[in-house]
Amino acid sequence: MKAAVLREQNKPMEIEEVQISKPGPREVLVRPIAAGVCHSDLHFLDGSYPYMLPTILGHESAGVVEEVGKDVTYVKKGDHVITCLSAFCGHCNKCLTGHLSLCQSPEVSRAPEVESRLSIGGETVHQFLNLSSFAELMLIHEHALVKVREDMPMDRAALIGCSTTTGVGAVFHTAGVEPGSIVAVIGCGGVGLAAINGAAIAGASMVIAVDMVDSKLELAKAVGATHTINARSGNAVGEVLELTKGGCDYTFEAIGLKATAEQAFQMLCSGGTATIIGMIPVGTMVELHGVDFLMEKKIQGSNMGSNRFRIDMPRFVDFYLSGKLHLDQMISKHIKLADVNTALNALKSGEEARHVIMFDQ
Amino acid sequence: MATERIKSEITGTVWKILLAEGDSIQVESELMILESMKMEIPVESAVSGRIQSILVAPGDAVDEDQDLAIIEID
Repeated sequence: MKAAVLREQNKPMEIEEVQISKPGPREVLVRPIAAGVCHSDLHFLDGSYPYMLPTILGHESAGVVEEVGKDVTYVKKGDHVITCLSAFCGHCNKCLTGHLSLCQSPEVSRAPEVESRLSIGGETVHQFLNLSSFAELMLIHEHALVKVREDMPMDRAALIGCSTTTGVGAVFHTAGVEPGSIVAVIGCGGVGLAAINGAAIAGASMVIAVDMVDSKLELAKAVGATHTINARSGNAVGEVLELTKGGCDYTFEAIGLKATAEQAFQMLCSGGTATIIGMIPVGTMVELHGVDFLMEKKIQGSNMGSNRFRIDMPRFVDFYLSGKLHLDQMISKHIKLADVNTALNALKSGEEARHVIMFDQ
Repeated sequence: MATERIKSEITGTVWKILLAEGDSIQVESELMILESMKMEIPVESAVSGRIQSILVAPGDAVDEDQDLAIIEID
């Protein structure tokens, strides 16, 4: 099969012929139909998050089951599925207490002494987040996918595989936004827009979108923002405090920077909660004004929207098909696998929402 | 002989150790792989030298900033 292989950070990926292993007992071979190109892929491409190389990036996809291992009963050939990097073992402390997205068990990967799922001429290709979706085929653990209804368009379904689940999940699960709350979201990329959409669905009375790109702020309005602030003014915190007359109940940081994480905390009212969704580079420290804790302000992380994706993703599909979840606006372009480097460069510019690779093109 | 301690940048689990005590290692070459939140994270040596001791084993849980190995610097 063909795949986009990353051999060196900050260098373009090359389309190469890659060998894929046969499904093990609990593995599923998936033929992706659509794969989103996500800003998180960029973090691993540019080395702000280290990863073993060579690898095949991509972690947001939807496709069709091609073949299943002998112990798999959940899906069969032909089923439509969304993949998810939050593969869960199902029996560790985190899984059994309902925190499936925090499962750290290595058993959803192949053990180091076993043949790797992906290789090129005998050389191991490290599977990215147990998925590697910039490829014509994916071999994944059965706990890394969810079955979805067949009337869901695959390109929209792919977005649910990461950005939607991360953004909407942060609002629903990590923060637990209540109806009537005042919410601000910093960063209007795919995840930030999903958080805005989620806050609107949750019934927030005010949803403030903060970004530096006017076109993204327009998109934010289209998916549920009630107010927008262009942070180029240099005083986004002041503008939010003025607009809300004292701060937000909930803020969400969807960029991954020290400065914006700190701003998310500064935008809170007393008792408010800041949720950091963005991937802050390894080694970066975040500084907070200690006295703010006396006002019961809180800050927390969110990983993949604290998801239980086998429950969440089919619900998000229903939200889309019933008109509540606005995924059509999230896709700026459909591309071929060979154009993946161009798509990642477009993400760097911050001007576009999301490119989606279509494998049938 | 001067030594350098190789530390973990992140909380995770030791997935695979790529070299053994006594092996020589070059700067920026990989010593082991950690797994954290489904990510395979390489641990690279900051110096060239010889691996004096490896302080962890596959499957061990490691904390951020924990010593993983000691390198005798060339």
